[in-house]
Amino acid sequence: MAKPPEPIEDVMPNAAWVVEAEVKEVLSTGPTPPQPTNAQPGATSVGYKSASQTVKLSISKVLKGEQATELVVEKPVGSYSLRPGNKGPFLIDKSKTILGRYGPDSWHLDRIKAAMK
Amino acid sequence: MPIRFNDAKLGSLYTNFETQKRSDPNLKLGQDQVLQLVALVGDGHRGWSGNKVAAELNKPGMTRDQQVALVKGGMTANEKKDLAAILDQGTVPLEPSAKQFLEAVLDRGAPQPPPPPRTNGLAVSGDQKNGLTGTAKAGATIEAINISTAPGGRLHMDDTTVIGKADANGAFTMARLTGDQAMREGDLIRMRARNADGSTSDWVTIKATGIASKDTNNATVALFRIGLADVGNGKVSVNNINESRQVSEPGAQLELTNKRTGEKTKVTVTETGGFPAGFTVNGKPGDSFAVAASDGVNNTNFAGSVGNVTVPGGAPSNTDLIPDPALHRDELDAAGKPRFSKVNFTGPLFVDGAKAEDVRQGQIGDCYFPAAIAAIAKSNPEAINKLIKDNGDGTYTVTFKQRDWNTQGFKDVAVKVDGDLWARSYGGALYGHSANSSDPKKMELWFPLVEKAYAQWKGSYNEIGDGGHSSDVFEAVLGRDGNSMNIYAGNLDRVFDTIKKNIDARQPLAAGTYHDEARYTNTGVYGDHAYSILGYEQQGTERFVILRNPWGESEPAGNGANDGVFKLKLEAFAKLYQNLMYTS
Repeated sequence: MAKPPEPIEDVMPNAAWVVEAEVKEVLSTGPTPPQPTNAQPGATSVGYKSASQTVKLSISKVLKGEQATELVVEKPVGSYSLRPGNKGPFLIDKSKTILGRYGPDSWHLDRIKAAMK
Repeated sequence: MPIRFNDAKLGSLYTNFETQKRSDPNLKLGQDQVLQLVALVGDGHRGWSGNKVAAELNKPGMTRDQQVALVKGGMTANEKKDLAAILDQGTVPLEPSAKQFLEAVLDRGAPQPPPPPRTNGLAVSGDQKNGLTGTAKAGATIEAINISTAPGGRLHMDDTTVIGKADANGAFTMARLTGDQAMREGDLIRMRARNADGSTSDWVTIKATGIASKDTNNATVALFRIGLADVGNGKVSVNNINESRQVSEPGAQLELTNKRTGEKTKVTVTETGGFPAGFTVNGKPGDSFAVAASDGVNNTNFAGSVGNVTVPGGAPSNTDLIPDPALHRDELDAAGKPRFSKVNFTGPLFVDGAKAEDVRQGQIGDCYFPAAIAAIAKSNPEAINKLIKDNGDGTYTVTFKQRDWNTQGFKDVAVKVDGDLWARSYGGALYGHSANSSDPKKMELWFPLVEKAYAQWKGSYNEIGDGGHSSDVFEAVLGRDGNSMNIYAGNLDRVFDTIKKNIDARQPLAAGTYHDEARYTNTGVYGDHAYSILGYEQQGTERFVILRNPWGESEPAGNGANDGVFKLKLEAFAKLYQNLMYTS
């Protein structure tokens, strides 16, 4: 569902890690979540959701949190999915779930850095 | 058996607490309430009023020992008996810290342990006219943060700046903060020394003096960090929603006035810049509170307010001119109650006419709507001027076009709305808003009110917030038949000709993406989303489409400022977008 990303100020307090990383491997994919059944053809913002995924991130820079070079994290059911090679800034909570409605495409790195100050 | 007080004012205040206890069995007297009590007994010897003693007790930087000494210095023997009676016979329980405070005033209880020795001690002497002077361990760097100015920014209380270095004898001079943190008379400066081995001294907080003849800077308040929540029984909890940052400077007093009941409640900001644990005020969902602050020197009568905060849920405190469309179900809590409340926005309808960049989609799945409205604002701003009218009485009339199946044409549907919009507790509209400001008094209103009217017309925000077609919005605004065309590699010429024809004719277009989210990650384009088409370009044989994300940001890299506007080659456009929406 193409809502804008959540306000970063609301999300940042829950981030245990902020990392610049690349998806190295998709380890598993969850079941297909229920999809809207009454959507009109061609409509947008209908709310289709992608399955959860467990992915391995190769980390190039840790901006917040314990140092790490790799993290296995959960991409929740939501409005995006990940493939190997996808990269960007990831906010990850203490249960190692990726935060932000669009994962690494949720906020520009500059905005994330500003929110960390 | 009721206590027989010698001091009538003290007796009256304590009786008041006993009355509150009857309606709130969980009431305990905390530090704030005990300070109110002792302010009335500390007035004895000096001829001071209770208010004067209260002001002294609550001055920023006052230590507990200084407060105890102040009270003891003005307390008569009879008043001492009164306090002892409160401790020994009082029917309203005391929180441990409050009890200890009273015991200290009465010289009771175990002696307080001496403060822990400071490691690598930092001492500051002199005034700050020419920068801070003091001593620390030789070679230590001196770090500081202005915690009087910090709440207005995004700083944590330990986001310090190095302002100096101790010499071989451990002395430092002329250490000063600059820029936004420059010290002003009366500011609180939090400092520590960082030694060469990485260890740090304890924090030391000093009050800047000697800079100006008068402290004219009141405590700053970060309204957007004040979170209110209904906790039942007529109580509203007050919290710092971002505890790692300050609401205001430690020791400042905030006064919250319930605008419905007029009740005023004061609270002293804690050492960490927030609210005491468990702090509540009397109120209910929908109540709005005016917040005033005093640093003990400025605005001591709390006459100047810094703004309002609202308890989520319920109806707004102000008079609702017109019933408003209900929230989308995503913004309801488990009990079906709104998690947000409404705020009356009173800004201008137009700031400098209707423009595409005014339009910002809010936290609702109606991208097709702002994408369509921004496209109309770009192609035909006069249509927006005709769409919405200010009635001059706090209401606005939005006139949509509805298909009339009898005539095969369109008929007008006038929808009247007021300026109430669902808003975040710290301000700013939750749903559609404008780019110019989030301030309820300044935000340009035309787009959020048109969206509100559309929700009103369709039934609620729920009815418009689960997806739709931009072409339907074109019809509803322009009264022209909407149309759509699928986009694929084989019809690029037709797609581009349609875009060109409509742009040249000043008619709006929008485009929708596929629901296959996997193809969009890292492209800067988002799936299941609608975009305004603002224009086209032709450079030789290459053709481009100019688009705008209705979020007003987030776009493919390499397109200049992050304003949501970007350009795609027609071939790339065809890969990412599934359909084109326009008017016939």
